[in-house]
Amino acid sequence: MWQLWRPDAVRALEDPKVVSSMPRYVGILKGRLLPRFFVSRYVPVEWEADSSEEELWELHRASIREMEALMRDMDSGRVHLGDLGCPPKSSLLHLKARIGECLMGPCRLCERRCGADRLKGELGFCRVGREFRVHSCFDHLGEEPEVVPSFTVCG
Amino acid sequence: MRIKKSGRISLGCNFACIHCQNWEISQQFVEGAVYSEREIASLIDDARRRGCRNQNWVGGDPIPHIPFWLRVLLWEKEKTPVFFNTNGFYSAEASSLLRGVVDIYKIDFKYGSDVCAEKISGVSNYWRVVTRNLREARQHGELLVRVLVLPRHLDCCLKPIVSFISEELGPETRVNLMDQYSPHWRAAERPELKRRLDRAEWERAVEIAFEAGLNNVIM
Repeated sequence: MWQLWRPDAVRALEDPKVVSSMPRYVGILKGRLLPRFFVSRYVPVEWEADSSEEELWELHRASIREMEALMRDMDSGRVHLGDLGCPPKSSLLHLKARIGECLMGPCRLCERRCGADRLKGELGFCRVGREFRVHSCFDHLGEEPEVVPSFTVCG
Repeated sequence: MRIKKSGRISLGCNFACIHCQNWEISQQFVEGAVYSEREIASLIDDARRRGCRNQNWVGGDPIPHIPFWLRVLLWEKEKTPVFFNTNGFYSAEASSLLRGVVDIYKIDFKYGSDVCAEKISGVSNYWRVVTRNLREARQHGELLVRVLVLPRHLDCCLKPIVSFISEELGPETRVNLMDQYSPHWRAAERPELKRRLDRAEWERAVEIAFEAGLNNVIM
């Protein structure tokens, strides 16, 4: 149905202005390339339960370079998803989730750096605490043509 | 979809824009639902299967929710690109976590002056933070910049914004120049924000964007 409301969105992925400014995005939608998070899952990283935040960031710096090298190889067709086997149990994406938790207490996610200990349930300036509370999710038809339809989660 | 529990929520936002069009839900508490990360992941997979092009992380602002989103991604099965829909006021640490995860950074570039940012959205160091994140977004992913033109903020805000985009990010940067400002919430506290843009102001805004050399503008 969205095609009726937004005929411009139907043609957007062929628009040279879209293709030149977001070639990877168009490639993902056409099934040729993988979203970045998908590639991050294939970069193995392991750490200890008692690793410090600084040690986690050290691992992150090395693994992100590895991830971007892998992404270039996959984008150019030198490596295929099938060559990679099963994704590791502990990956760059897992490491990011672990560090994300560190950044919640004291909170340093935005540049207000309000420092609320959200892991303990304190609310930040943003009124968000420990849990993921969702106000609504819906197929959004009001965004830029290349984005529509967009599954939007308002949290 | 099973909702685990409901409760008082607020769309998390790190800004407090006096003209916020979502102020009922961004600046106070309303009823909302608490989902597990796995449930959100399955909603996103279903959406991709029915033809949605991306997962659009919105708030308020998605910045406070980044840790949740990273765990949602761990559960997703479909190859759904990530569209990060933000005001751009995130920390350098958050920027590092987003690298390797976000496919499109959609950043609202709101102010050309820290004074305006402080008065209207209640934040300091706006220009330094948002321009740093715009540069990093361009390096680490693909970029879409939204610019909502505010009445009487053409010289102080729009001009520096479009010059920065053209000179530092490139004239080919995809920019959505928006004329739909309308006063909400406490906008009347600032006299210039009491009204919509007038026609002459909008025509001048378009001229300013083209004079800066931008060549990929959506209007």
